[in-house]
Amino acid sequence: MTRDKSDPEGLLPLRPSVFHILLALSDGDLHGYAIMQEVAEHTGGQIKLGPGTLYGAIKRLLSDRLIVEADERPDPELDDERRRYYRLTDFGQRVLKAEVRRISKMVAVAQGKRLIPKPRN
Amino acid sequence: MFKAERFFRVLLLAYPRQFRREYEREMVTVFRDCYRATAPRFRALGVSAFWTHIFLDLVQTVPKEHFENFGRKSLFMKNLKRDALALIGCAAIIVVAFVLLTYGRKHEVSSILIFGYALDALVTAGVAGNLVVFLLVKITRFNPLRIALWTFLIVNAVPAVVLAIMSSRLSPASRPGATVIRYAVSFVFWLGIHWMWAQWQNGERLAPSNGQ
Repeated sequence: MTRDKSDPEGLLPLRPSVFHILLALSDGDLHGYAIMQEVAEHTGGQIKLGPGTLYGAIKRLLSDRLIVEADERPDPELDDERRRYYRLTDFGQRVLKAEVRRISKMVAVAQGKRLIPKPRN
Repeated sequence: MFKAERFFRVLLLAYPRQFRREYEREMVTVFRDCYRATAPRFRALGVSAFWTHIFLDLVQTVPKEHFENFGRKSLFMKNLKRDALALIGCAAIIVVAFVLLTYGRKHEVSSILIFGYALDALVTAGVAGNLVVFLLVKITRFNPLRIALWTFLIVNAVPAVVLAIMSSRLSPASRPGATVIRYAVSFVFWLGIHWMWAQWQNGERLAPSNGQ
Protein backbone atom coordinates (compact mmCIF):
# COMPACT_ATOMS: atom_id res chain seq x y z
CA MET A 1 0.00 0.00 0.00
CA THR A 2 1.36 3.45 -0.89
CA ARG A 3 1.12 6.49 1.36
CA ASP A 4 -0.72 9.62 0.28
CA LYS A 5 2.04 12.21 0.58
CA SER A 6 -0.26 15.23 0.34
CA ASP A 7 -2.27 14.24 3.41
CA PRO A 8 -0.52 14.72 6.79
CA GLU A 9 -2.26 11.62 8.17
CA GLY A 10 -0.94 9.66 5.20
CA LEU A 11 2.63 10.13 6.43
CA LEU A 12 1.98 8.77 9.93
CA PRO A 13 3.35 7.18 11.99
CA LEU A 14 6.66 9.00 11.73
CA ARG A 15 9.95 7.30 12.52
CA PRO A 16 11.29 8.45 15.91
CA SER A 17 14.30 10.14 14.28
CA VAL A 18 12.06 12.02 11.83
CA PHE A 19 9.64 13.04 14.59
CA HIS A 20 12.47 14.44 16.70
CA ILE A 21 14.02 16.30 13.76
CA LEU A 22 10.66 17.97 13.04
CA LEU A 23 10.23 18.72 16.73
CA ALA A 24 13.68 20.32 16.85
CA LEU A 25 12.84 22.49 13.84
CA SER A 26 9.52 23.61 15.33
CA ASP A 27 11.38 26.25 17.37
CA GLY A 28 13.11 27.76 14.33
CA ASP A 29 15.69 27.21 11.61
CA LEU A 30 18.60 24.95 12.54
CA HIS A 31 21.65 23.47 10.82
CA GLY A 32 22.54 19.79 10.90
CA TYR A 33 24.69 19.75 14.01
CA ALA A 34 22.23 21.93 15.95
CA ILE A 35 19.44 19.48 15.04
CA MET A 36 21.59 16.61 16.37
CA GLN A 37 22.21 18.42 19.65
CA GLU A 38 18.56 19.39 20.04
CA VAL A 39 17.40 15.80 19.45
CA ALA A 40 19.94 14.41 21.92
CA GLU A 41 18.77 16.98 24.47
CA HIS A 42 15.02 16.32 23.92
CA THR A 43 15.45 12.60 24.30
CA GLY A 44 17.88 12.73 27.22
CA GLY A 45 20.57 11.21 25.00
CA GLN A 46 18.41 8.21 24.03
CA ILE A 47 18.41 9.16 20.36
CA LYS A 48 21.82 10.15 19.04
CA LEU A 49 21.60 10.79 15.33
CA GLY A 50 24.64 9.90 13.28
CA PRO A 51 25.53 11.95 10.17
CA GLY A 52 24.10 9.27 7.84
CA THR A 53 20.78 8.98 9.70
CA LEU A 54 20.47 12.75 9.95
CA TYR A 55 21.12 13.55 6.29
CA GLY A 56 19.19 10.51 5.05
CA ALA A 57 16.17 11.78 7.01
CA ILE A 58 16.76 15.37 5.82
CA LYS A 59 16.88 14.17 2.21
CA ARG A 60 13.50 12.41 2.59
CA LEU A 61 11.95 15.32 4.51
CA LEU A 62 13.03 17.72 1.75
CA SER A 63 11.60 15.48 -0.94
CA ASP A 64 8.30 15.12 0.98
CA ARG A 65 8.32 18.94 1.44
CA LEU A 66 8.10 18.75 5.21
CA ILE A 67 11.17 20.96 5.47
CA VAL A 68 12.95 23.39 3.15
CA GLU A 69 16.40 24.89 3.08
CA ALA A 70 16.22 28.31 4.75
CA ASP A 71 17.39 31.26 2.66
CA GLU A 72 18.66 33.37 5.49
CA ARG A 73 20.68 32.24 8.52
CA PRO A 74 19.86 33.35 12.08
CA ASP A 75 23.24 34.93 12.80
CA PRO A 76 25.42 35.21 9.68
CA GLU A 77 28.36 36.83 11.47
CA LEU A 78 28.77 34.12 14.06
CA ASP A 79 28.23 31.23 11.76
CA ASP A 80 30.05 29.17 9.15
CA GLU A 81 28.49 30.29 5.88
CA ARG A 82 28.86 26.82 4.37
CA ARG A 83 26.28 25.40 6.75
CA ARG A 84 22.80 24.82 5.44
CA TYR A 85 19.87 25.73 7.66
CA TYR A 86 16.58 23.88 7.49
CA ARG A 87 13.09 25.19 8.12
CA LEU A 88 9.82 23.43 8.91
CA THR A 89 7.20 24.08 6.19
CA ASP A 90 3.49 24.64 6.90
CA PHE A 91 2.88 21.10 5.68
CA GLY A 92 5.66 19.82 7.96
CA GLN A 93 4.01 21.63 10.86
CA ARG A 94 0.67 19.97 10.06
CA VAL A 95 2.34 16.55 9.90
CA LEU A 96 4.10 17.18 13.21
CA LYS A 97 0.84 18.25 14.89
CA ALA A 98 -0.95 15.20 13.48
CA GLU A 99 1.79 12.94 14.89
CA VAL A 100 1.60 14.65 18.29
CA ARG A 101 -2.20 14.12 18.30
CA ARG A 102 -1.66 10.46 17.39
CA ILE A 103 0.84 10.01 20.24
CA SER A 104 -1.49 11.86 22.66
CA LYS A 105 -4.27 9.41 21.83
CA MET A 106 -1.90 6.51 22.55
CA VAL A 107 -0.96 8.08 25.85
CA ALA A 108 -4.66 8.51 26.71
CA VAL A 109 -5.25 4.83 25.96
CA ALA A 110 -2.29 3.87 28.16
CA GLN A 111 -3.67 6.09 30.94
CA GLY A 112 -7.07 4.46 30.56
CA LYS A 113 -5.40 1.09 31.06
CA ARG A 114 -3.57 2.50 34.11
CA LEU A 115 -0.20 1.79 32.54
CA ILE A 116 0.82 5.35 33.32
CA PRO A 117 -0.74 7.78 35.81
CA LYS A 118 -3.12 10.49 34.60
CA PRO A 119 -1.66 14.02 34.80
CA ARG A 120 -2.84 16.05 37.79
CA ASN A 121 -4.69 19.28 36.95
CA MET B 1 41.54 15.56 13.95
CA PHE B 2 42.67 15.74 10.31
CA LYS B 3 43.38 12.00 10.24
CA ALA B 4 39.94 11.25 11.68
CA GLU B 5 38.28 13.58 9.17
CA ARG B 6 40.20 12.03 6.29
CA PHE B 7 39.18 8.57 7.45
CA PHE B 8 35.55 9.67 7.69
CA ARG B 9 35.74 11.02 4.12
CA VAL B 10 36.95 7.57 3.01
CA LEU B 11 34.01 5.95 4.81
CA LEU B 12 31.61 8.29 3.02
CA LEU B 13 32.66 6.70 -0.28
CA ALA B 14 30.32 3.83 0.68
CA TYR B 15 27.28 6.07 0.01
CA PRO B 16 25.80 6.47 -3.48
CA ARG B 17 27.47 9.18 -5.54
CA GLN B 18 24.36 11.32 -5.77
CA PHE B 19 23.89 11.30 -1.98
CA ARG B 20 27.56 12.22 -1.47
CA ARG B 21 27.35 15.01 -4.00
CA GLU B 22 24.41 16.50 -2.11
CA TYR B 23 25.42 15.98 1.54
CA GLU B 24 29.11 15.04 1.82
CA ARG B 25 30.30 18.53 2.74
CA GLU B 26 27.67 18.93 5.43
CA MET B 27 28.23 15.44 6.80
CA VAL B 28 31.94 16.20 7.16
CA THR B 29 31.10 19.49 8.93
CA VAL B 30 28.79 17.65 11.32
CA PHE B 31 31.42 14.98 11.88
CA ARG B 32 33.97 17.69 12.69
CA ASP B 33 31.57 19.30 15.18
CA CYS B 34 30.83 15.95 16.83
CA TYR B 35 34.52 15.11 17.01
CA ARG B 36 35.39 18.47 18.56
CA ALA B 37 32.56 18.14 21.09
CA THR B 38 33.56 14.61 22.07
CA ALA B 39 37.36 15.00 21.93
CA PRO B 40 37.80 16.57 25.41
CA ARG B 41 36.12 13.50 26.89
CA PHE B 42 38.24 11.12 24.82
CA ARG B 43 39.85 8.30 26.65
CA ALA B 44 40.33 4.79 25.27
CA LEU B 45 36.65 3.95 25.81
CA GLY B 46 35.41 7.33 24.62
CA VAL B 47 37.22 7.03 21.30
CA SER B 48 35.89 3.55 20.66
CA ALA B 49 32.34 4.62 21.59
CA PHE B 50 32.55 7.55 19.17
CA TRP B 51 33.77 5.43 16.26
CA THR B 52 31.31 2.62 17.07
CA HIS B 53 28.50 5.18 16.78
CA ILE B 54 29.88 6.39 13.44
CA PHE B 55 30.28 2.82 12.09
CA LEU B 56 26.83 1.70 13.24
CA ASP B 57 25.29 4.74 11.62
CA LEU B 58 27.14 3.94 8.41
CA VAL B 59 26.13 0.26 8.43
CA GLN B 60 22.47 1.19 8.96
CA THR B 61 22.22 3.97 6.41
CA VAL B 62 24.46 2.95 3.48
CA PRO B 63 22.27 -0.01 2.34
CA LYS B 64 19.17 2.16 2.72
CA GLU B 65 20.56 4.92 0.50
CA HIS B 66 21.71 2.40 -2.11
CA PHE B 67 18.31 0.73 -2.06
CA GLU B 68 16.53 4.06 -2.59
CA ASN B 69 18.99 5.00 -5.31
CA PHE B 70 18.37 1.68 -7.05
CA GLY B 71 14.60 2.26 -6.80
CA ARG B 72 15.00 5.65 -8.48
CA LYS B 73 17.10 4.13 -11.26
CA SER B 74 14.60 1.33 -11.94
CA LEU B 75 11.76 3.90 -12.05
CA PHE B 76 13.82 5.91 -14.54
CA MET B 77 14.39 2.76 -16.63
CA LYS B 78 10.68 1.92 -16.46
CA ASN B 79 9.77 5.42 -17.70
CA LEU B 80 12.39 5.18 -20.42
CA LYS B 81 11.01 1.83 -21.61
CA ARG B 82 7.45 3.20 -21.55
CA ASP B 83 8.45 6.26 -23.60
CA ALA B 84 10.34 4.10 -26.09
CA LEU B 85 7.34 1.76 -26.39
CA ALA B 86 4.98 4.70 -27.07
CA LEU B 87 7.30 6.21 -29.69
CA ILE B 88 7.92 2.86 -31.41
CA GLY B 89 4.16 2.13 -31.40
CA CYS B 90 3.32 5.48 -33.03
CA ALA B 91 6.19 5.15 -35.52
CA ALA B 92 5.00 1.62 -36.42
CA ILE B 93 1.42 2.82 -37.07
CA ILE B 94 2.74 5.66 -39.26
CA VAL B 95 5.09 3.35 -41.19
CA VAL B 96 2.33 0.73 -41.75
CA ALA B 97 -0.06 3.44 -43.00
CA PHE B 98 2.64 4.88 -45.27
CA VAL B 99 3.64 1.49 -46.70
CA LEU B 100 -0.02 0.56 -47.23
CA LEU B 101 -0.68 3.85 -49.01
CA THR B 102 2.42 3.55 -51.23
CA TYR B 103 1.56 -0.06 -52.10
CA GLY B 104 -2.07 0.82 -52.84
CA ARG B 105 -1.10 3.71 -55.13
CA LYS B 106 1.62 1.75 -56.91
CA HIS B 107 -0.52 -1.30 -57.58
CA GLU B 108 -3.79 0.63 -57.74
CA VAL B 109 -5.43 -1.52 -55.12
CA SER B 110 -8.88 0.00 -54.94
CA SER B 111 -9.69 -1.36 -51.47
CA ILE B 112 -6.63 0.48 -50.09
CA LEU B 113 -7.13 3.61 -52.18
CA ILE B 114 -10.63 4.07 -50.75
CA PHE B 115 -8.87 4.85 -47.47
CA GLY B 116 -5.95 6.52 -49.24
CA TYR B 117 -6.78 10.08 -48.28
CA ALA B 118 -7.49 9.10 -44.71
CA LEU B 119 -4.15 7.26 -44.54
CA ASP B 120 -2.44 10.34 -45.93
CA ALA B 121 -3.93 12.52 -43.19
CA LEU B 122 -3.16 9.87 -40.62
CA VAL B 123 0.55 9.86 -41.52
CA THR B 124 0.91 13.65 -41.70
CA ALA B 125 -1.01 14.40 -38.52
CA GLY B 126 0.56 11.37 -36.78
CA VAL B 127 4.15 12.51 -37.34
CA ALA B 128 3.54 16.12 -36.28
CA GLY B 129 1.00 15.41 -33.53
CA ASN B 130 2.86 12.61 -31.77
CA LEU B 131 6.07 14.60 -31.72
CA VAL B 132 4.30 17.61 -30.16
CA VAL B 133 2.42 15.39 -27.65
CA PHE B 134 5.62 13.61 -26.61
CA LEU B 135 7.47 16.89 -26.03
CA LEU B 136 4.58 18.54 -24.17
CA VAL B 137 4.09 15.50 -21.92
CA LYS B 138 7.80 15.64 -21.05
CA ILE B 139 8.08 19.36 -20.38
CA THR B 140 4.67 20.24 -18.88
CA ARG B 141 2.54 18.81 -16.11
CA PHE B 142 -0.76 18.84 -18.02
CA ASN B 143 -2.87 15.72 -18.36
CA PRO B 144 -1.38 13.69 -21.29
CA LEU B 145 -4.82 12.84 -22.69
CA ARG B 146 -5.81 16.51 -22.67
CA ILE B 147 -2.54 17.37 -24.41
CA ALA B 148 -3.29 14.73 -27.06
CA LEU B 149 -6.87 16.03 -27.51
CA TRP B 150 -5.80 19.63 -28.15
CA THR B 151 -2.71 18.76 -30.18
CA PHE B 152 -4.53 16.40 -32.55
CA LEU B 153 -7.42 18.82 -32.80
CA ILE B 154 -5.01 21.53 -33.98
CA VAL B 155 -2.77 19.37 -36.22
CA ASN B 156 -5.86 17.93 -37.95
CA ALA B 157 -8.08 21.00 -38.04
CA VAL B 158 -5.45 23.38 -39.46
CA PRO B 159 -4.52 21.30 -42.56
CA ALA B 160 -8.16 20.26 -43.00
CA VAL B 161 -9.33 23.89 -43.20
CA VAL B 162 -6.32 25.11 -45.25
CA LEU B 163 -6.54 22.22 -47.75
CA ALA B 164 -10.32 22.52 -48.03
CA ILE B 165 -10.09 26.26 -48.82
CA MET B 166 -7.11 25.84 -51.17
CA SER B 167 -8.57 22.90 -53.10
CA SER B 168 -11.93 24.62 -53.54
CA ARG B 169 -10.14 27.69 -55.00
CA LEU B 170 -7.80 25.70 -57.25
CA SER B 171 -10.35 23.26 -58.61
CA PRO B 172 -14.11 23.74 -58.52
CA ALA B 173 -14.54 19.95 -58.88
CA SER B 174 -12.71 19.24 -55.61
CA ARG B 175 -14.62 18.08 -52.55
CA PRO B 176 -13.68 20.09 -49.43
CA GLY B 177 -16.02 17.91 -47.37
CA ALA B 178 -13.90 14.85 -48.15
CA THR B 179 -10.76 16.64 -46.95
CA VAL B 180 -12.44 17.54 -43.69
CA ILE B 181 -13.69 13.97 -43.26
CA ARG B 182 -10.24 12.40 -43.75
CA TYR B 183 -8.72 14.68 -41.13
CA ALA B 184 -11.65 13.99 -38.82
CA VAL B 185 -10.92 10.26 -39.22
CA SER B 186 -7.26 10.91 -38.45
CA PHE B 187 -8.25 12.94 -35.34
CA VAL B 188 -10.54 10.20 -34.03
CA PHE B 189 -7.95 7.51 -34.77
CA TRP B 190 -5.04 9.21 -32.98
CA LEU B 191 -7.14 10.36 -30.06
CA GLY B 192 -8.43 6.78 -29.74
CA ILE B 193 -4.86 5.47 -29.68
CA HIS B 194 -3.89 7.96 -26.96
CA TRP B 195 -7.04 7.18 -24.99
CA MET B 196 -6.23 3.45 -25.06
CA TRP B 197 -2.65 4.24 -24.01
CA ALA B 198 -3.94 6.34 -21.08
CA GLN B 199 -6.28 3.52 -20.02
CA TRP B 200 -3.41 1.03 -20.13
CA GLN B 201 -1.19 3.40 -18.12
CA ASN B 202 -3.90 3.86 -15.49
CA GLY B 203 -4.36 0.11 -15.27
CA GLU B 204 -0.62 -0.35 -14.75
CA ARG B 205 -0.49 2.36 -12.07
CA LEU B 206 -3.38 0.88 -10.12
CA ALA B 207 -2.16 -2.71 -10.42
CA PRO B 208 -0.56 -3.93 -7.18
CA SER B 209 3.19 -4.24 -7.53
CA ASN B 210 5.50 -6.43 -5.52
CA GLY B 211 7.55 -4.97 -2.75
CA GLN B 212 5.21 -2.12 -1.87
